[in-house]
Amino acid sequence: MIKAVFFTAISLIFFYIIWINNFFAHKERYEMPAQYAKIAEDVKSYAKEGKQLFEQNCQACHSVRYDSVYISAVQANPKLKTLQEKYGKVLPRDVYEGVFNEDLMALKESFGKVPPDLSTMYLVKGKEYLFNFTLEPQKVLPGTSMPAVMTGRPEETAKIIAYLKSVSEPTPEEKSKRVLMGVGTIAYLVVMGILLWLWKGKILKRMGLH
Amino acid sequence: MLGRLGRWIDERAHLSELWQSQMVDYRVPKNLTFPYAFGIMALVAFAIQIISGIFLTMYYQPDVNKAFDSVNYTIMKEVPFMWLVRQVHAAGANFFLAVVYLHIFTGIYYNAYKKPRELTWIVGWLIYFVLLTTALTGYLLPWGQLSYWGMVVTAEIPTSIDSAPIIGKLKIGETISLWMKGGYEIGQITLGRFFGLHIWLLPLILLLLVGIHLYLVRAAGISNPEGREIDKKKEGVPFHPYITLKEGAYVMGYLAVFFFFVFFHMSHFLPADNYDPADPFKTPAHIAPEWYLLAYYTIFRSIPDKFLGFVAFNLSLVLLLLLPFLDFSPLKSARNRPLFFVMFVVLVVSSMALTVLGTMPPTPTNAMLGLLFTAGLFAFFLSLPLISIIEWGWYKARGGEKR
Repeated sequence: MIKAVFFTAISLIFFYIIWINNFFAHKERYEMPAQYAKIAEDVKSYAKEGKQLFEQNCQACHSVRYDSVYISAVQANPKLKTLQEKYGKVLPRDVYEGVFNEDLMALKESFGKVPPDLSTMYLVKGKEYLFNFTLEPQKVLPGTSMPAVMTGRPEETAKIIAYLKSVSEPTPEEKSKRVLMGVGTIAYLVVMGILLWLWKGKILKRMGLH
Repeated sequence: MLGRLGRWIDERAHLSELWQSQMVDYRVPKNLTFPYAFGIMALVAFAIQIISGIFLTMYYQPDVNKAFDSVNYTIMKEVPFMWLVRQVHAAGANFFLAVVYLHIFTGIYYNAYKKPRELTWIVGWLIYFVLLTTALTGYLLPWGQLSYWGMVVTAEIPTSIDSAPIIGKLKIGETISLWMKGGYEIGQITLGRFFGLHIWLLPLILLLLVGIHLYLVRAAGISNPEGREIDKKKEGVPFHPYITLKEGAYVMGYLAVFFFFVFFHMSHFLPADNYDPADPFKTPAHIAPEWYLLAYYTIFRSIPDKFLGFVAFNLSLVLLLLLPFLDFSPLKSARNRPLFFVMFVVLVVSSMALTVLGTMPPTPTNAMLGLLFTAGLFAFFLSLPLISIIEWGWYKARGGEKR
C-alpha cells in the first residue's frame, strides 16, 4: 500500500511539473496593470475598436493575415482584390510574399527585416509581453527596430491586444460551446466508467469471482 | 432483425467461437493490479492517434510555405471541429508516450521481461523506439519555431560521432545528419520526408509491432504481480468479463483525464513558441526536445565530451533492450526482491530528475546534477547482474524455492 501511494504520488508530481506548472523552468514574466489587462481580455467590448486602432497605428508595417488585414501598401494595391477572388480572403503565404515582394522589401530596407505578421502573435507572446513591448519596445528588447508608436497610450495598446486576441482565439460564444462540450464529454466518460465498474461487480458476484 | 443478421454472419464467420476461445476461455491471474491497465490504455491511445491523424491529413499541407497556415488557420480556425481533432492528436501523442513509459516501468517493476517473456519485451522496446521516431517526425510538421529548431538540434546530435578519435574521420555522423535532413538544411525535402514517414511508414511498422506484441502477450501469458506463474486452469479468471469490465472502467477514467487536457489545458501540448512560424534566421532563446526525450537529452549534454555523451544516451537505450539478459535472477517481481526494489526507485527518481533537468538552463550545477542522475540511471542497469548473483545465492539457500 505504501509503495502504491509512493509511486502514484511521485508520478503525479512529475506530470504536474512537466505538463502543468514547471516551476524549475526559466520563464520571463511581465507585469500588466489590472485595468489594462481587463481591457485586453474583453474581446467582446474592445476588439472592434482595437482593429481600428491597429489600422491607424500598426498596419503600415504589420499584417494580420488570418483576419485578411494586410500592410497598408498591399491593402491599397488593386492586385489584392483579384488575388482574394482566386485564393480566398486569407492569401497563402507564398502568394502574398511573392506578389507583394516589393512592398515587403521596402519595409525590410527601412527596418532591417520584414515586420512579422501578427495573426498568431497573441498566442506566442501573451498579453503582458505585447503590452510592455508595444508601449516601450527599447526597454523590453533593446536594439529592436520597432518604433515606439504607442508609448504613453496604454489603454489604446490594450485595445489593440484585445483585437489580436480576437484573431488568435475562438469567439467567447464558441469558447462557451467548447467548455460545455468538454464538460459533457468528461461527465459521459465518468458515468460510463462508474457503470462499468458497478456492472463488473454484479457480474463477478454472479460468477462467484468477487 | 439485427439478431438474425448477427446469427447469419456468425454461422459463416464463427465469430462467437473466436470470442469464446480468445476472450472467455483465455484465463489470466486474478490479482492483476491497476498498472497492468497501462497496456490497454496505450492501445486506446494508439487508436486515437491513428483516427485523429487520418482526419488531419485531409487538411494538412506538407509544404514549407503552407504547412504553418494549414495547421494554424485551416485546421484550427476554418474547418469545423478540426480544432478538436488537432488538440486530440497533439495531446494524444503526449498521453500515448506517457502511458507507454508507465507501461515500461510497470514491466520493469513486475519483471515482465523475464523468461518466457523476453521476446515480448524486445518487441515492446522496438515499439517504444519506433514511437519516439514517429513523435519526432510528427513534431516537425506544424512548421513552427519549436518544430524547426527542435529538429535543427536533433539532426545535429549524430554529428557527435565525428568527434570520436578514429571513427570520427569517417564523418558517419555528418552523413546520418544529412540523411535525416535530406540536405544541408531543414527545408522542403525534410518536411516531405518526415511527413511520409509520420503518416505511412512508421504507423504501419507500429501496427505490425503492436500486433506481434499482443500475440506474444497471449503466447507467453500475462505476468503476475506476485512473480510466479499461475496454473491457469485452477487459478486464472476469464479475460472476459473479468478484465474487460475492470480495465474498461479504467480506460473510461483515462479518457476522462485525457479529455480534460484536450478541452481545458492544451498549453503544454501546443506550446506558445510553436505558434510562431519557422524562421531559420531567428533562433529561439531556449531550445529543448519534447519531455519524452529530455532524459536522454540531459544525459547527452551533462557529459562534457560530445562523443561520450552520444554513446551514453544510446547506451541507456540499449541497456533497456538488454534488460532480460542483465537480470538473470531466479526471483521475479520487485515485491519479492528488496535489492531490486531499491534500485528500481533509483531508476524512477533518476529518470524523472533527468527529464526535469532537461527543462532547466545548462548551468554548471545542473550539469553536475545531470551527471549524478545519469550515474543513478546506469547504476540500476549495471547493478542487475550483481543483484542476480546475490539472489541466486538466496534462492539456493532456500532450497531452490521460486517465489
